[in-house]
Amino acid sequence: MKKLIALSLAAVALFASALSQSAIDGVAILQKVDRNLEPESYEMYRKLINIEPDGTKKEFVLFSVKKGKDNVAALFLSPASDKGRSTLRQGDNMWLYVPSVGKPMRITSQQSITGGVFSNADILRIDYTEEYTVTSAEDQGDTYLLKLKAKTAEVAYDQLKMVVDKKTVLPLEIEAFASSGMLIKTLRFKDIKDFGGGIKRPATVETDSPLYKGYKSVMLYSGLKKRVVSDEVFTQGYMSRLEELRK
Amino acid sequence: MIRASAAILLALAAMTANAEEEFKFDASEFDKKPYEFNGYLEQKFETLKLRGDSSAYRLAFPGEPAQDWLQRSTSTLELSGKANYQSLAADVRAQASYQGDDLVHTTNYGQVMEGGLRWSVGPELSFDIGKRVQRWGKGYAWSPVGLVERPKDPSDPTASREGFVMASGEWTRSFSGPVSSINFTGMVVPTNDNLNNDFGREEDLNPAAKLYLLAFDTDIDLMWRGKGAKPEAFGIDFSRNLTPALEVHGEWARTLDAPRNTVSASGLTSSGQINFNSWLLGLRYLTKSEVTWVAEYYRNGAGYSANQLDDYYAFLDRALAPGASPALSSKARTVAQSGYGKANPGTDYLYLKASVSEPFDWVYGAASVTAMTNLKDGSWQLQPEVSYTGFANWELRSRVIFFGGQPNAEFPTKSSSMRVEAYARYFF
Repeated sequence: MKKLIALSLAAVALFASALSQSAIDGVAILQKVDRNLEPESYEMYRKLINIEPDGTKKEFVLFSVKKGKDNVAALFLSPASDKGRSTLRQGDNMWLYVPSVGKPMRITSQQSITGGVFSNADILRIDYTEEYTVTSAEDQGDTYLLKLKAKTAEVAYDQLKMVVDKKTVLPLEIEAFASSGMLIKTLRFKDIKDFGGGIKRPATVETDSPLYKGYKSVMLYSGLKKRVVSDEVFTQGYMSRLEELRK
Repeated sequence: MIRASAAILLALAAMTANAEEEFKFDASEFDKKPYEFNGYLEQKFETLKLRGDSSAYRLAFPGEPAQDWLQRSTSTLELSGKANYQSLAADVRAQASYQGDDLVHTTNYGQVMEGGLRWSVGPELSFDIGKRVQRWGKGYAWSPVGLVERPKDPSDPTASREGFVMASGEWTRSFSGPVSSINFTGMVVPTNDNLNNDFGREEDLNPAAKLYLLAFDTDIDLMWRGKGAKPEAFGIDFSRNLTPALEVHGEWARTLDAPRNTVSASGLTSSGQINFNSWLLGLRYLTKSEVTWVAEYYRNGAGYSANQLDDYYAFLDRALAPGASPALSSKARTVAQSGYGKANPGTDYLYLKASVSEPFDWVYGAASVTAMTNLKDGSWQLQPEVSYTGFANWELRSRVIFFGGQPNAEFPTKSSSMRVEAYARYFF
């Protein structure tokens, strides 16, 4: 009888364990990751640093606003050679405004307006849940491993492997792959900081790419806060006036 | 040994600490200021291989003896300033330059490129008064719908251009649905003897308007320019990504009762008025190897046929030949300043540009080759170019322009057969 009870308990434990494995809701985790990284509508400042193999650095500072699921705009504040440039994203549509050119031009998410490891998709990132479906979610002890697949061909990276910290539900590392399966870049999230207003997220994202051997890019976050701006901010006509949003 | 190891560890720790420190960023360093100044200083060098025996040379350098080469140096200083007060912003962008070569020296002590006052009622409504640059159209090399701007230089389409004094208002609305935004811009560009002389000298308000729509993921603009110092014109343009890597764009403009001058080989001029359509169709394609191709076909409705251009070049040869009468030479200069003197006076052109960012792992470098041809006479322009932006606040660019084709065709009748350019621009 004792043996039967022991066997039954073991079977229940195994079933419970299997159930807990299959019960991982990858979509819910990804949604939580999105909201933990940024509010749905926000303003923030970022410094992008491209570091060359010899240690030489090139820095860019951007002011960004996002509203809703897929409206993002960013204004270059530095360096002087890029000051006044702005980029706009409305869903899959992206434009670049260069003051000397004087009119917005369409750009693609794969290209890079800063050069180096960061692509336009990194600079004008929208929620992961908007661009990716969760194909699998694994429990790895202290972390989850989410495998994501791009919803459309417009998305810059075809597949992502995201390691999520269970405790904070924030990403620790993301590997981005092309449709061929080739690793394009790896993003490492560091330095969790309290931005206020209930926003606590990594303030540093380091990126490297096998396509740029020896190069490294760093994105630093500051002044991230919830802000809801007018829909008209995310239009071509406003690209030359984004500075007006800064206080 | 232990001491040495400890020293190394301490040094490493210090380096790590420094590295961490370098990655600190505080947005308050970039707080908005009530006023700001910036600009650039540029030094450009050019070498021109001249066609010293051509009429184009005699037209460009009247009275100068023929020569084969010309070295030119141009220094440019551009200063921009902006002041913000609540919803008002005043700004100015001005240039000063000095250009010198063996034949001509030109000094420009200060030219306001644009500047004025803007009142932003909100993101959806703003009013502007001052000298402003309007850049209409989706074309890369040409813009037939650029109804209120100075002509674009197809050899350097992104070059900075001077604006016109105008008063304008801009209204924007966003929607959810297939038409996601609408933007209306209305303006007047007043002209008289003292204002906007390059636009026209007749006293007129010159109204113009543009309506922009983002509809079904397609940029669409409708433009109109009222009759005034320039003839009435209207047009439409569009731009759309068919795939993430392929963008298509087009422009069409119709101009009514536009004055047009022609000249015969003997120098007989005639003037008339025509209605004409100009249009452009183009694409931009990013290959998997990250080469961006831009191709554009341009139909210039106001352009001159190959026969008309033949007559014009024959007239120039006659009027500017050594010993020609001063009256005839003067007439040639007047005719050259009419439609014949435009950057591309023909009717049909093809533009092709292949560019690559960071070629051969050359980070911050870019290289391109541009070809442009007059499809009617087969003449061409070829332009390889390299640029580098890897040094903070520096832009370095160099290009060579070759002109070729049959004699008495468009590009070989320019005053030079080759031009080498290099410039360094420092932003501050």
